Formats: sequence, C-alpha cells, structure tokens
Amino acid sequence: MKSTNRHFLIPAILATTAVFFSFSGKIHAVDDGARAYWKGRDGTTVVSFQYLNLNMQANDAKQFAPNQYIYPNADTEANIMVASWARHMTLFNRPSSLSVNLVAGSVDLDASASLEGQFVPPDQTAGTAFSQSSSGYADPSVQLDINLAGTTPLRSTVDLLNYEPTWTVDAAVMLGVPIGEYDEDKLVNMGLNRWYGRLALPIKYHFGVFSPGYMSSFEITPSVWIFDENDDFLGQDLENDPLWQLEAHLTQDFTPTFFGSLDLLYRSGFQSEIDGTDVGDDVDIGDFGFTLNFQSTDNLMIRTSYSSNVFGDSDIDNSLLRIQFVYAWHPLTENQKKLSEGH
Amino acid sequence: MVNKSFPLVITTMLVLSLTIGAMQVNAQTQSRPNILLIVADDLGYSDLGSYGGEIRTPVLDTLAQQGMRYTDFYVSPTCSVTRSMLMSGTDNHVAGLGNMGELNAPNQIGKPGYEGVLNKRVASVAELLQDNGYHTYMAGKWHLGLKPGQIPHARGFERDFSTLVGGGSHFDDGWNLEWQMPKMPYTEDGRPVKKLPKDFYSTKAYTDKTIQFIEEGRKDNKPFFAYLAYTAPHGPLHLPDDWLRRYKNRYDEGWDGIRQQRLARMQDLGIVDKDANAADRLSFLPRSTALVPAARVMQGRKMELYAGMVEYMDDQIGRVFEYLKEIGEYDNTIVIFISDNGAEGNDLRAMVAGRPGTMGFLHGMNNFAENGHNSLGRKGTYAEYGPAWAQVSMVPFRIYKGWVSEGGIRSPLIISGPGVKGAGELNKKAMLHVMDIAPTVLELAGIQHPDNYKGREIEPMQGKSWVGMLAGETQSPRTADDWLGWELFGNRAIRQGDWKITWLYEPLGTEDWQLFNLVEDPGEQQDLSNELPDKRQKLIALWNEYVKTNGVIIGARSPFEQAGKQLPTRVPEYDNYPPVRGLEALPYEKLLELMGGGSEDKE
Repeated sequence: MKSTNRHFLIPAILATTAVFFSFSGKIHAVDDGARAYWKGRDGTTVVSFQYLNLNMQANDAKQFAPNQYIYPNADTEANIMVASWARHMTLFNRPSSLSVNLVAGSVDLDASASLEGQFVPPDQTAGTAFSQSSSGYADPSVQLDINLAGTTPLRSTVDLLNYEPTWTVDAAVMLGVPIGEYDEDKLVNMGLNRWYGRLALPIKYHFGVFSPGYMSSFEITPSVWIFDENDDFLGQDLENDPLWQLEAHLTQDFTPTFFGSLDLLYRSGFQSEIDGTDVGDDVDIGDFGFTLNFQSTDNLMIRTSYSSNVFGDSDIDNSLLRIQFVYAWHPLTENQKKLSEGH
Repeated sequence: MVNKSFPLVITTMLVLSLTIGAMQVNAQTQSRPNILLIVADDLGYSDLGSYGGEIRTPVLDTLAQQGMRYTDFYVSPTCSVTRSMLMSGTDNHVAGLGNMGELNAPNQIGKPGYEGVLNKRVASVAELLQDNGYHTYMAGKWHLGLKPGQIPHARGFERDFSTLVGGGSHFDDGWNLEWQMPKMPYTEDGRPVKKLPKDFYSTKAYTDKTIQFIEEGRKDNKPFFAYLAYTAPHGPLHLPDDWLRRYKNRYDEGWDGIRQQRLARMQDLGIVDKDANAADRLSFLPRSTALVPAARVMQGRKMELYAGMVEYMDDQIGRVFEYLKEIGEYDNTIVIFISDNGAEGNDLRAMVAGRPGTMGFLHGMNNFAENGHNSLGRKGTYAEYGPAWAQVSMVPFRIYKGWVSEGGIRSPLIISGPGVKGAGELNKKAMLHVMDIAPTVLELAGIQHPDNYKGREIEPMQGKSWVGMLAGETQSPRTADDWLGWELFGNRAIRQGDWKITWLYEPLGTEDWQLFNLVEDPGEQQDLSNELPDKRQKLIALWNEYVKTNGVIIGARSPFEQAGKQLPTRVPEYDNYPPVRGLEALPYEKLLELMGGGSEDKE
C-alpha cells in the first residue's frame, strides 16, 4: 500500500484544530472566566451551558451576590443555570464577539434576626429570623466585545495560523435587561428590576509559544458595573454606586487539550442607598480560585472552577462552584469533517 | 684547552640559525595563505542570492562578488560520503565511505572502502597540513568516524569542536537522529563534550569556536586551515526564537511560484541558460495552487524556517569574515564555500522516528514530538521542508539529496581570496568535484601529497587541483575526455563533458541507464538513450571502469530499493493533466473569489 504524503496530511489535521484552539465561552453571571476573551475565527459559534452553586454567609455586612442582590446578615445559596450563545465576528475590521446570556435558577435566603429594617419584607417582622426563596428566570444580558489592539482580524484559517498574539486589549460593553422574575415584596429575586450594564477593558498578555500545549496567558480585566435605580425594592427606592471589579487569570496549558488557571476576582464600591440614605458599607470582596478546562473533542470543552473569598471584608464567607460545557463550531470545519468522513 | 672564542662562535651560530629560521617561517607565512573551508549541510543549489535564491545571503553574495562562482561543481548525494572525498581528495569508495556507514548493505560490510569511516588508506588534508606548518581547526560536523582514532583530533585537526554524527537537534538538548545513540556525541580538542551550554545553537557555536581557535593560535603567525562545517540547514529545521519569523509569510504563495522566480533569476544571472530544460515537479507533488491557502501557509512555514537557517548561517559567516578583517588576515585567506549534497527532500523524520512500537518512534516521542504550527523550529520539534521545497532549492535539477541525479549532487561553489582571478565572474566551463579541494588546498599550501603517511602506503588523490584555474591560467582542471563517476545506494552516474548517464531506482528512475545532455537538459528530462546508443554505451564503459578502479560493490540492500512503495502516489491533478479548462485557467485569487468570497473569509 502506498503511503500518504505526511507533508500534506498534517496541514489538514492542524488546520482543523487551529480553528478551535481559541474558542471561549463568556459568562456574565459572576465573572468572565479564564480565557474568556481569547479570539475565535470569524463565524465560529459558541454555545455554553453552566451550572453555578453559590454559597454566602454574611455577618453585619452588605454583600454582593450573583445577580447583584444585597442581603445583609443572611445566609444564601443560589443554584444558577446559565445558557450562553456567542458568535465570533469581525466588526470595524477588528475581531469581535457578540454574546447573549440567559440565566435561570433559584435563590434561598436565611435572614438573621438582626436584619436591618430597610431589608425586612412586608410579611416579616423585624427582629425575627426568616427564610425566603425565589426561582425562575433572571435578567438576560447581552455583551459586545471588540478588540482594540494586538489581534488582526481572524477571518480565515490562514489568519488563525498566523495568529501569535502578545499583548491584546479589548473593550466590552454589557447590558442587562430587567425582564427577570421580580417580586417587589421579596428580599431575594432572580431579576433586578432595573437596567444595568458593565464596561470592561480586557487586557491579556500571551507568553510562551502560542501553540496548543504551550499557551500561557496573564489576563486582567478592569471593569465597572453601573446600575439604574430600582424604584420598588420592598416599596423603597434602591440606588447603588458603581461596582468596580478587577478580574485576573494566570492560565497555562498542561497538554494541548487541558489547561488550568489561577483566578482572582476583586470587587469594591456598590454603596447602597435606600430612599436617599446610605445603608451599610462599600463592598470589599476578594475571591481566589482555580479553573480546570478539558477539551474533550474538537468541539466540546468541559470546565470546572472553584473560588472563595480570601481577602477583603472578613465578615463574609462565600464560595462559587461552577461546571460548564462549551460547544463550538464553524461551518467550514464541520464540512471538512463531513468530507473527510466520506459518505 | 678550550678555545676562548668557541662560546662566541656557538652563540653567533645559534642566533644566526634562529634568525634564518624565523625568516623562513615569516617567508612561509607570507607566501602561504590561510584557508577557510566552509561547508553548509543540505544547502540547495539555488538558495544563495548569488545563485538566484530569494533568501537573504548578503555575506556570501559579497564573497561571490569578490571571488568566483562555479556552476558545475559536484559533490556526493549524501553528507558523510562527500566529506570523505573532501578530506581525502579521492573517491569515497576508496576513502572508506563506499556507502554511508549507517546504511552499509550486508555484502558491503567489512569490505575495503566500506569501513563507514575515513579509513587509513588515505591521509586527511588536515593531517598533511598540520604536518607541514599549518594550524588546523575544525568546528562542526565530522560524520567520518566515532572512535578515538577516527575523530577530527586524530585525523589532523589540532583544535576541534565537532559533532561526530550526521545530524540532530541544533540546541543544547542535542538529541541525535539515530535512536541507537540518543545524544549527538560532541568532541572538543579530542575530548568528549559532556554537556552543551544552555544557550547552545549549533551555527553560532561553530562560528564562535572557529573565531576562538584562530584567535588563540595566531601568536606564532603560522597560517591556518579552518574547516567550518555547519550543520545548517540540515533538518530538523531549528532556529533561535528571534529568528523564527524572519521570513513570515514569505512563502505562502507556494513552491511553484517561488521556483519559477528562482529559475528566472538564475537565467538572468547566467547560471542557467534561458532555453535550458528544467526538471518537472515530481509526480507525487501537487502544484501549490491546488492547495488551500491554509495548507500553503503551513507548508510555507517550513520553508520560512529553512530560509531563516540559511540567512542565520550567512550572518555567522559574516562574523568570521569581520574577525579576519579585524586581525588583518582576511586578505590572506582563501575562502571556499560549498554545500555537501543536494537539498533534503526525503522524509528523514519518518525514517528516523520509524513506526509506532519501534525504538525509533520512542526516540521521537522523547525528543521531537511537537508539531504545532507555531512550535515548529523550536526545541523539541522536527520540521523538515519536504520534497517540494527541496525541488525549489535544487531548481532546475532533478530530484534531491540521496540521488545521483543532478538534484542530489550539484552544489554551489564560491572561491575568493588571494590569487583568485576574475572577481564576480561565473565559470560555467569547469567540471569540478569535491575531491578536487584537497589537492587544491595542498598545492596552495605548497605541499606534495605523499605516497606513504606515517609508515603506511596511502592512496593517491584522484581530484585535480584548481590552482591553475583560480589563477586564470585555465578554465577547467579537466579536459573534455575527463569524466566523473558516482555510486550511492545502488544509484549510479557518469558524467563526461556535456553528457551524463544515470541508473536510478524506480519510480524516480527507470532502473536502467538513461542518457542526458546536461547543457540542453540540466533537468535530465529527455532520455536520449534510443537516439544515441553509442554515446550511452561509451559512458557505460566508463562506469565499468569506475567500478573497477574504485572497488565499487553494489549493495544488496538500498534505502531506495522500495522507493516505489514508499513514495506517495502520483497526484491526480498535475500541470497538464487533466487539461486546464474554464475556471482553472483563472488566477488563483480570482478562482477563490468565484468559489465564494475569496481566501480572506473562506479558508
């Protein structure tokens, strides 16, 4: 049997994998996650499903939780599902992506007897402990990310092959739409009952060889969350200062299909004001965690991460466990597989 | 009674003799040039700018302007075989490399001329120079013996920094191509090198050592013979990080376009005649425009690395020249630059790594398994640029390294230095051979090749000195009746004047004698055996003489004996078949556009 020519077989294989080495699944629920702003080929679609379990215990503090709730002197557990859709594209001749998040789940709250009066729901009595829960859809969000510097448009496999980034800078704008479940008589809700948004400046530095199995990056994303007024928070007006957030990741490939990341998330600001009066203190939470990401097929990545607060306000204990499935495809690559597989 | 004037007489005689001795040394020094012999490893015929290549080689191009270039310089199809002739001045079948030591056939093992090392039937040019007042230095690839009596230090080089084997990593990890000896053995001044420095890169290290040896030896004003035997651009294609992207995207257009451009430049330079017949692309290679852009980029990346290695070598040669100018020795140095064989188009990595389950494969797993597009060229990878680019490097010739067709045995040759007439000229008349270099060097140094060396009889040199040619007295050291012969791996060839016969294994040959006119047909495309049977027969008779004279034994085994089964099949779309019709006749970019948007967003 004649041999095939290795010099022409390998390109075909690598051209396939090159399409997918940089797909990512963005998450707007808590943080963006490691390698969230890595670039994919124009036309790549990414669908992601993730489950998040959040636990928070707070004493004499106001805290910031997944969907921007505040609930002082309370223990909370949230089980959240996030379905995301993202599309890599080229906008203004820059690599860009548009993503949409649909969030649903439930939140259970155990409030302590010392809950301040502004936070006591109408059917509860101040000075007594109570439990409350909420479930359903939360506010969906949409985000547009555009690269400002460091990456050329990735329209083709050729562009991907030539892609060896070092510094990259993006700009991202996210908008939350207040159509999630909201009950004005509840302290906990899935929806926020107000518009909110985020401006982010994702910056990353790729070091080492930009080749599967050797890719490393340091990623830092300063961002600010801005909230509209909630005019019906237990019958009161709730306003919040901007929330300043700094997210950082140090990522490293272990093998061509397996990477890990050390994760840092710090949030501050978000001073609450109810009916014109400041309530509590600024948020001051620093979480540290890790992520493991396994690419099980050309299309599918499985990711898990854990983080917990390790600095900032000492009165808070929180943890976040996440399991995520990310599926990505590009029509040409799928067609290539069909052709390669024969009939 | 002792004469009181005796001590004075003795002293006077001593002073006089020392003075005369010193004058003789000075006279010898002034009359005998330094010799710098630079050998590239697997460099193609058309790679240098002065031979039509697009690779930036300003140092060697300047050297060519200062000296002479030659179009018809021949080497052997592989490296150790060439090196045996380079060192001995005689045929490889005499000097011990009748076959590569690694590939000796069962019926060749133990036979005279098939020792697999530079044997003791010859004296190396370094031995003769060392014994006659020259400093002898070597840095680079030896490949002529591993044992203590066979290494450079034992064969005439007073200083050396050498790798003893055929190839391997260019970095400090130093893995060898042969799994049987996983690390490349290096020697320095005859002693094994235990560990290479962390920042080791072969081409730079050999350059550094050459400069160091010359510097440390210049106190006594003796001339030097420096053999700078680079291992570039032999695979694996490795480069320092800051050189990896020096030719980024330069070769994305594919091999056909680059080959045509080179050929046109070679014609402009006069290296190839305008109406000369270039070899076809090998039948198993697709035309580059049949490849999608991404595949061309991936193939082009390998050529980028190759070009980077060639330019890096040129840059390092420039360092040696600058140093020689600094110490005032450049104008007294004859520089000879050659390649050791044709460009490498064989799948050496596959040959080295073997198949899964073999030791070779384990060797590959341990040392060069990385093949990511952006990893290529770095430590832990084994890139080679393949047959299509090798054909570019050997345009207009047929096939590449390993074969005795012109693509395996033609090499660039540049000579410059004191006494070399015809600066910047191109000599197309001389039929030259690598075994001519030793007699040339010896004549330049004023040394007679002896019949005996250290008590043993040695073979005469078969090469012919170029000194008369370099001085402009003749156009060639050979007459029209002189001829050259080759045999390696069972493939055979004879050239006499414009004519050449070859016997090559199928499918690249016919396993029968073919006859070519190299002036009209340097690509060896038109077999004239039927038209000129007498000419063919005359050359076959010379082949028989070659076998007899040199003790050639055709191997019972050959790496090419199953070439027909190992090489890929003919590609379905070749240049003229099926006939080009309709859209296929359009420019490539236009065709892509019509297929739906062009290369930018579709591939």
